[in-house]
Amino acid sequence: MRRVEQVMGFPVSLRIDDASVPESAADAVFAWLHQVDARFSPFKPDSEVSRLDRGELSDPSEDLTEILDLCEHYRTATGGAFDVRLPGRGLDPCAVVKGWSVQRAAELLRAAGAKRFCLNAGGDVVTAGGPWRVGVRHPEHADQLCTVLHLTDGAVATSARYERGDHIIDGRTGRPATGLLSLTVVAPTLTEADSVATAAFAMGTEGVHWAAGLEGCEVFAVDAGRQVLRTPGFPTARTGATVA
Amino acid sequence: MKRAIPVVVLSIAGLVPVWLYEPSAATSTVQAATPAAPSTPATSPSSSSAGTSSSTVVAGSTVNTEKGPVQVEVTFDGDEISSVRMLQQPNHPQTTAAVPKLIASTLQVQSADIDTVSGATITTDGYKESLQAAIDAKG
Repeated sequence: MRRVEQVMGFPVSLRIDDASVPESAADAVFAWLHQVDARFSPFKPDSEVSRLDRGELSDPSEDLTEILDLCEHYRTATGGAFDVRLPGRGLDPCAVVKGWSVQRAAELLRAAGAKRFCLNAGGDVVTAGGPWRVGVRHPEHADQLCTVLHLTDGAVATSARYERGDHIIDGRTGRPATGLLSLTVVAPTLTEADSVATAAFAMGTEGVHWAAGLEGCEVFAVDAGRQVLRTPGFPTARTGATVA
Repeated sequence: MKRAIPVVVLSIAGLVPVWLYEPSAATSTVQAATPAAPSTPATSPSSSSAGTSSSTVVAGSTVNTEKGPVQVEVTFDGDEISSVRMLQQPNHPQTTAAVPKLIASTLQVQSADIDTVSGATITTDGYKESLQAAIDAKG
């Protein structure tokens, strides 16, 4: 089963290989993601995030509390480079909400009996029952890859500037993070992979070392000088053909 | 008083490398920069200037600390220590110990048979031309 839908402003591609899993499992995934968009988008005035930011929400939901706790964890861990409350801007926890909600969607699939699936939310990927071959987009060529990795059960997230420009701000300086072209993190869950990728990207080259030191995280980074830095445990697929 | 100005300027100039210094991309340790000149013996009036030829330099053994390996080099002037220099020191004191050695390579262009693509969040327009769209269309 394959499905593609636009949610939260990006395409979400779902592939489920178990023939026994009903279409309703995919319906539930997209329904959940639409619900997340309605509840946590800072661009929707009546979302929980917008209401909290305006001081209209005295008792945040359990989910919102979990998201804000994650944001605070990564703000502290990066010395303020990752910050969802930048001066002069509204509360924007999108970077954490995305990974967290897609990971939850993957858990919905598992609960529905899916054993082999691949869920790709705008470039952030959760897989189960691999082997899966995941290409990492080349930071300078949209139709090419810079590496291919093998994933069985896990998650991959990439942060970069090539799609939406300098949208990741280093909270320590208030300026766009420009030290890296692209940074990919492999982790057991997408909650972690996506948050770490964004937070490390905000830190710049220093963030590569920070992410590499995190338990369970493997890193593949391309710096502004086009040098690749990767952890020894990054699950590079060996068979990828190199094009001159 | 005018003489003070060059002194101040030189002092500030001397600090510039310190401000410009950013923790480098090296992972575990860095070779400590060679000090411009171990200034203590020259400026200290109490040190016996006779001993330049009798000074010996000894490198200590590497000690693995919680923050990374540390190695010092000690210069003896006779029996007295005249200077101490760091040969190895942790680059990032907070994180170095846990960071695996990163492998550096050049950026490559690959094309391969893949199931899915990880990349920066793509917009609706970007998706149309993306590899993921091609994979989805192929089915």
